[in-house]
Amino acid sequence: MIEFVIKRLLWTLLILWIVFTITFVLMELVPGGPFDGERVMDADIRKNYEKRYHFDKHPVVRYFLEIGSYCRGDFGISMKIQDFTVTEIIQQGFPISATLGVLALTFALVLGVFAGVSAAVRRGGVYDVGLMSVATIGIALPEFVVAGLAVILFVFILPLFPAAGWGSWRQLVLPTICLGLPYAAYIARLTRTGMLDILSQDYIRTARAKGLLSRTVVVRHALKGALLPVVSYIGPATAGILTGSMVEEKIFALPGLGVHLVQSCMQRDYTLVMGLTMFYTVILCAMNLIVDILYKVLDPRIKLEA
Amino acid sequence: MLQRRLLTFAFPLLFIAVVGWTFSQERLPPADFTFCNGTDIKTIDPATVTGMPEGRVVDALFEGLCRRDPKTLVPIPGVAKSWSVSDDLKTYTFTLRDDAKWSDGSKITAADFIYSFQRFLHPETTAEYAYQLWYVKNAKRYTTMKPEIGEQVEVELPREDDVKNTVRGKIEHGTLRKIETRQVEEKGEQVDVRIFDVEIAGKVRRFCSNASLALPESGIELSAWTMPSFELLGIKSDKPDRIVLTLEHPTPFFLDIIAFYPFGAVNKKCLETHGSPLWTRPENLVSGGPFRMEFRRIRDRIRLVKNEHYWNRDAVQLNSIDVLAVEGNTTMLNMYLTGAVDWVNDVPASVGPILLKDRPKEFDPEPTLGTYFYRFNVRKKPFDDARVRRALAMTIDRREIVEKVTQTGQVPAYSLVPPGLVGYEPAQCAPEDIAEAKRLLAEAGYPGGQGFPPFDILYNTQDTHKSIAELMQARWKNQLGIKVGLRNLEWASFLNTVRLGEYDVARAAWIGDYADPNTFLDMFMKDNENNQTGWGNADYDKLVEAAASEADPAKRMKILHDAEAILMREMPIAPIYFYVSKDMVQTYVRGFHSNLRDEHPLWAISIDQQEKAKVRTAEGFQ
Repeated sequence: MIEFVIKRLLWTLLILWIVFTITFVLMELVPGGPFDGERVMDADIRKNYEKRYHFDKHPVVRYFLEIGSYCRGDFGISMKIQDFTVTEIIQQGFPISATLGVLALTFALVLGVFAGVSAAVRRGGVYDVGLMSVATIGIALPEFVVAGLAVILFVFILPLFPAAGWGSWRQLVLPTICLGLPYAAYIARLTRTGMLDILSQDYIRTARAKGLLSRTVVVRHALKGALLPVVSYIGPATAGILTGSMVEEKIFALPGLGVHLVQSCMQRDYTLVMGLTMFYTVILCAMNLIVDILYKVLDPRIKLEA
Repeated sequence: MLQRRLLTFAFPLLFIAVVGWTFSQERLPPADFTFCNGTDIKTIDPATVTGMPEGRVVDALFEGLCRRDPKTLVPIPGVAKSWSVSDDLKTYTFTLRDDAKWSDGSKITAADFIYSFQRFLHPETTAEYAYQLWYVKNAKRYTTMKPEIGEQVEVELPREDDVKNTVRGKIEHGTLRKIETRQVEEKGEQVDVRIFDVEIAGKVRRFCSNASLALPESGIELSAWTMPSFELLGIKSDKPDRIVLTLEHPTPFFLDIIAFYPFGAVNKKCLETHGSPLWTRPENLVSGGPFRMEFRRIRDRIRLVKNEHYWNRDAVQLNSIDVLAVEGNTTMLNMYLTGAVDWVNDVPASVGPILLKDRPKEFDPEPTLGTYFYRFNVRKKPFDDARVRRALAMTIDRREIVEKVTQTGQVPAYSLVPPGLVGYEPAQCAPEDIAEAKRLLAEAGYPGGQGFPPFDILYNTQDTHKSIAELMQARWKNQLGIKVGLRNLEWASFLNTVRLGEYDVARAAWIGDYADPNTFLDMFMKDNENNQTGWGNADYDKLVEAAASEADPAKRMKILHDAEAILMREMPIAPIYFYVSKDMVQTYVRGFHSNLRDEHPLWAISIDQQEKAKVRTAEGFQ
């Protein structure tokens, strides 16, 4: 186990280096730069700017300068939010994105598993068809449509929650639901498929034959096996929820990292783009590692190989 | 087994921790006044800001020699209580008030202003607005580091630490004797590097900012910056309460510029103690404006509170202000309609007509100093022919654009300079005239659009730009028989493409920096970076230059009018519409005035509490 973790960490370092390099090259290739604005800078002022950010140097030199400061743990100062370092921006934004993420994921898991199991148990019934149709629509509807509908319903028609902003729990309810819904729908489908698969297995039939209550069979014996696909989905789902919260963050004006991710690319804020890309890479690698370990814990038959 | 138990509890525990953390966040008491400021601001450093959102915050935190009247925009006293202008209109003498104080209670002195101006012009500060102060004698040569032989120079030596643009390195003063230019390879190409021979205390020393040349054996010392001595600039103080600014030319709009927010004074001690960017933090910041910063959360809000040491504190009505960073005008509108904010400065175009009809008291667009126009790339055929450009411009249906697309009261534009500038009559371009357009096109060799090469309209990705481009496309196709394509790019790529001249026709916009036609017209001088059309006209350049040194205001405006007339005849651009303000303000807000610059200083704003209570009950705000 320990050997596995160490090996994976070494892989992560390699991945980080590759991602760094690709990001750097992409930023070099993309047209436009951090010094472009509607008001074109005076050529002399622009020169001073380029000097300040080492843009007067050859890209290869800059690559090594940057990778050097990354190795020292210095991620630099954002070029477009100039009063803060990249580290500070992540420190302030990540807890908000993470809060939203954990809440949305919890919501998605609870709703998804419940709906999935209910549908599987009543396979083919109106309930099953109804739930799964709703789930399909839930996956298909774009987030901004869901969010827009939620705002119309729960802000204007039924004034239960504030329209946007950050600071109280009430402001988190709508974004959590909107962010969690598509994931809940997907989890519901996964759970249903897993459950149907398990319910047809011999040991379930044995359990039923022994006269156990239907609920006991489902909850104690079948659920654990049916959840394996869901567990493996948690990794990418977490990553998706963390990086995919930008629509909600924008519509509900939440100061998380999602908006930073989009804005920094649009504004060519090279330092922040690099910082966020690296940060998300670390998060993704960590999530995948945790999921692999979880797997092993849930199903001891699985062998871990790096 | 234990592992599995732990796991079962891990997730619920995490959930509880997160919920606990959310609830433990202290709830903020609401501010007296809350508004949406658009995207998060780039910085609060007055020297390096350019945008409107930044301007609102900087204007509240800092104060320069003058301010602008919230209603008329006429410069009014700020830290300077009075000023006088010499007869040749080239020397401005400002007298500072005794009671102007920083937020830490210390006095604002002329030395702070000298430091602020010097820092503003210093190349390391990279002030994008530096050119605004280049009207001051020798200031441009300071920023662009162009000292002349025989004059006093200052050589700034490199620093060990990395305190950008707040602390200067050791400075050597001397007389410039010689500039030698050598070629050095950089980025695979030869670049010129200058070596300065400077006589310091009777001895000539050689300085260069390129590390590969400044080696001990070459006898060249490494320097960071070499520029004309700051003493040579027209920025002087002979008394602790007096500042004298001397200009290159009489510049009638100079006071308007000095009242602009980038020229707010910064506190030398604060900047030098904390360095950049730490001096901008609420716990470190010492500012001299009507408000100080209580806290700042990235992409969330800036909380401003009244500065108790501000000289005009009695005039400041608001005790606290929340400046919210909100992207997206739909979100802004939602917040406004639920009473979460008191002012939004943008609304979605689609609801414009409804707001105009239903809420005329809150939403009352007024013309501002901005123009939406199309650039023609005159370096490319067939746009090198003025007849073609005129024909295309004459075909535009501006009314359709403002009525169907922008929808919030925009005004069709037939000139580059918007109306409303005192003493200036904008020169008009030809009105819509399809028959004349067809004739011009035929004269240029494309009768009925035959043989006209297909071209693209370039715009940055946004719904309104797209809709306008589509209307143009249809119009040019149906009326002139020209095939037009659409090409959209995201913002940064768009800017780059236009700057490199890789377009046929591109959308553009310009917001005036100061209340004078010059802010629009100098843009189309041949060498101006913002021209971007490739167009140049010697007569035009001569007129704009002549206006810069003309002391008589009436004559000056006439010269500028003549310049614009050339532009409107040649048409490297086609004006489309003038911008209007899109402010939506609750009826209980007082001291909020419409003006040409869409500028609404926070110190002038107050709240009518009685009215507020009434509105909140009537609207059912929580």
